[in-house]
Amino acid sequence: MTDKSIKTQELIWTPFLMLLSREVRRFIKVLAQTIFIPAINSFIYLLIFGVSIGKNIKVLEGISYLEFLIPGLVMMGCMNNSFQNSSSSLLGMKFGREIIDIKAAPLTVQQIIWAMSLGGLFRGLVVGTVVFLSGEFFYYFHENAWLVPVYPFYFLLFCIIGGLAFTKLGIIVAFLAKTFDHVSAIGGFIILPLIYLGGVFFSLENLSPFWVKFSHVNPLLYFINGVRYGVLGVSDVPVNVALWVSLLGLLVFHLLAVWALKKGSYQPW
Amino acid sequence: MAVLKIENLIKDYGALRAVNKVSFEVHSGEVFGLLGPNGAGKTSIISTITTLEKPTEGTITINNLDVTRHERATKAVTGVVPQELVTHGYFNVEEILTFQSGYYGLRKNKEKIHSLMQQLELWSHRHKKIRHLSGGMKRRLMIAKALMHSPQLLLLDEPTAGVDVELRYSIWEQVRDLKKAGVAILFTTHYLEEAEKLCDRVAIIHEGKIQKQGETKELVRKLTSRHLTITLKNKVEYSHPALINQQDNTLEFRVPYSTKIGQFLSELNFRNDNILDMKIREGTLEEAFKYVLNRGEM
Repeated sequence: MTDKSIKTQELIWTPFLMLLSREVRRFIKVLAQTIFIPAINSFIYLLIFGVSIGKNIKVLEGISYLEFLIPGLVMMGCMNNSFQNSSSSLLGMKFGREIIDIKAAPLTVQQIIWAMSLGGLFRGLVVGTVVFLSGEFFYYFHENAWLVPVYPFYFLLFCIIGGLAFTKLGIIVAFLAKTFDHVSAIGGFIILPLIYLGGVFFSLENLSPFWVKFSHVNPLLYFINGVRYGVLGVSDVPVNVALWVSLLGLLVFHLLAVWALKKGSYQPW
Repeated sequence: MAVLKIENLIKDYGALRAVNKVSFEVHSGEVFGLLGPNGAGKTSIISTITTLEKPTEGTITINNLDVTRHERATKAVTGVVPQELVTHGYFNVEEILTFQSGYYGLRKNKEKIHSLMQQLELWSHRHKKIRHLSGGMKRRLMIAKALMHSPQLLLLDEPTAGVDVELRYSIWEQVRDLKKAGVAILFTTHYLEEAEKLCDRVAIIHEGKIQKQGETKELVRKLTSRHLTITLKNKVEYSHPALINQQDNTLEFRVPYSTKIGQFLSELNFRNDNILDMKIREGTLEEAFKYVLNRGEM
């Protein structure tokens, strides 16, 4: 039996779908942790920033702060949870030695990456949907109308690209990390600041020229503004630029994830 | 037919050479024992077979396919029971076995999953999460996982470490059944009595190097002697190069396998009416193991 003959058998889709199913079932088993807490966080952000403080904040012309905030929070929830899902799942596997099962099984690097990515993306999209529905709730009471995405295709596309990119980032971090502290440090010191500085809560128009330049080198700005374009039809960066930078970011994270799985340690902690 | 073939395997961890030019084969329907003290390199060898670690030099083939170049094909026919217990935080026994089955491309495998759970006495625990299982049950689950896809090669890394006697016998029985079914089994253990009972061939490894390998019985015959204990009616002062112990009127001799017992007795020249009792004890794998570790190459 060679690799070639195996391709005609069940070793392509079944192992991939089983790992994907494991990833989805894992986060469903801890819904309070994976869905409810992020949903409550977003609800509080919307209440405090969107409704209370937001009345006095001016962003883009003709757009209320609540409208501006909703797509940013959707993307933040989607990216953050996609990252959390793949990184915590892999860390759990390393800690519990389950990683040996994955490595010893006939799963390829691409199968592992895509199964874990799609599992993480699914959680990201579920959280993003919950955040969007919370936003709709506030928007309806504030504006007496529903917030209808202007370009739903772009809205979904950027959520998918951003979520996928962040699941791959989670895989990279988890594979290269030697302890839980490494992952917490990368999440707290790098990813969270980049998300916050990526324009979730503010428009580039509100920033001084120095910070505008700084924000332009933050790839998250393009993911977040792509989603904002999909919902509001306007954004701080042209949608084509946002799309190309986001796709480039996704490609880079994917290649780094492949490298991490090939070079990183499968040894349990 | 050699299912697993390892040739001149070297595995370095930085400056430390954990495995040094190791070569051996495991054939279909054979149990091959890899014996050695802690840190001898047994687990490093298993880690390179499963591609958990990359070999520094040398080749490992399963069914004539190189494990580093044909990962999927070689892994599809290999089952692994790692030394350390695996914990799955979120899932119960049946779910874990379903995932394991799927990882090997077996989607509709409920019958096999149920049959393995019954065979390994996991049935009544199938809805329990791993953290609620005893150590022995966890070990059974790991064996069930390794057998899920009916492997041609089974790697058992100290499967009986820390398990009770009942489970140990049950694992032995499983190993014998698998051997009969034609599975090639690589078995590592610290229990030499167990290796002697189960393994057709063994390799004694020390400091990363195979010191001796061969058929278990043959190796014991080559490296050890029989012990002949004679109890005499009357105490005699006796001197003989093969005498290793004398207590009152009981004398213990080491008799090489190359010497026939009858010939040896006639050499001793005891009067038949002075012999009260006589016992022969065969050499053991443990003695062979100690001999190799203490003296290295013969």
